[in-house]
Amino acid sequence: MMARNSDALIAELVGGLEPVRPLRFGEGLALALAAAGISAAVVAGVFGLRTDWLAGVVNPMHILATGLFLGLALAATVTVVVMGRPQVGSDHRGWRWAAAMAGLLPLAGVIVGISRGAAAMSYESMAQGAECFAVGGAASLLVFAMLVWWLRRGAPTAPDRAGLVAGVAAGAFGIFAFSLHCPINDIVHIGIWHSMAVLAMAGLGRVLVPRLIRW
Amino acid sequence: MRADEATLARLMTLSQQGDKQAYAALLEACQRWLRGYYSRRIAPSSLDDLVQETLIALHTKRASWDSARPFLPWLAAIARYRWVDHLRKLYRAGEHELHEELIGTDDEPAIAARISLDRLLGLLPDPQARAIALVKIEGLSIAEASQATGQSESLIKVNIHRGLKKLAHMIEKE
Repeated sequence: MMARNSDALIAELVGGLEPVRPLRFGEGLALALAAAGISAAVVAGVFGLRTDWLAGVVNPMHILATGLFLGLALAATVTVVVMGRPQVGSDHRGWRWAAAMAGLLPLAGVIVGISRGAAAMSYESMAQGAECFAVGGAASLLVFAMLVWWLRRGAPTAPDRAGLVAGVAAGAFGIFAFSLHCPINDIVHIGIWHSMAVLAMAGLGRVLVPRLIRW
Repeated sequence: MRADEATLARLMTLSQQGDKQAYAALLEACQRWLRGYYSRRIAPSSLDDLVQETLIALHTKRASWDSARPFLPWLAAIARYRWVDHLRKLYRAGEHELHEELIGTDDEPAIAARISLDRLLGLLPDPQARAIALVKIEGLSIAEASQATGQSESLIKVNIHRGLKKLAHMIEKE
């Protein structure tokens, strides 16, 4: 039983009232997009853009895969921003459709990889994949931090799910950023290693974020 | 003070700007509203604690409400979150009676129905909702709940565990 009665509590809360800036949807989205833009710019600045782009050549596989990760990143980010502003009647499931579509990439990557056999797991391909995984993961950290900060300011009613979706959003933005550099158009590489960066961040978000945002 | 949507939203807008008088009126109105909201959905001995916990949550999370959105569905989300959290922490309560008194009436029954705790409980399969209501809200023992429902004691425990886990993921559902 709490020691104080409700009147005393209300007096205490009123006494401690400070003006607050309401969490606006546009602000949350803009912060996340700004973080994603900075990450992409840093990756492009440090590693350079794809050389075929600079030569005016585009690859359909690359555009398709990068677009799917960007779509997933945007859908998951919108969901996280909404989760920070609770309301009975809100629906947080929209990002799952984007995830289902992007999920075709790892599925296709695994199927094609199996059909190729051992050739798909060469040392060179593993090293290239590990680089994308590591840099894509690192490029997601700024967005991740921004979304966690947003959720801490807000009041997410399902902290575990909010953490998971924040990880998905950050990971998808991170691998999108590194896709601006990564010259490999192979579905096995993209489907496995690029998707793995998203999955790893999702796992990190699911495990780490709830304890940071629970209220 | 009537706890209607428009009044509460206006008071909350002023409170976010630092108006202490409006905030005192808001908290008073919310306290009454919360007592009605939780009524019959929590053991009477826990009602004061839960209302106070929710007022503190309202205070700390007041920036998460946006004046472009309705107030009561926001308050209900905060209240449901605290309620489910409370149920999850709750050990057997010593009281068996229902709290019959409805404190405060709501002028917007359609909204109240959509955001109510009954609506949230109603989203669960009936055996889970019944097990939670009997043990966590009415304070029956596992054995008593088993007798009342015909479910085995282990099934009552499983239903409470699964039901509370599901509730935690359905806070904002209508």
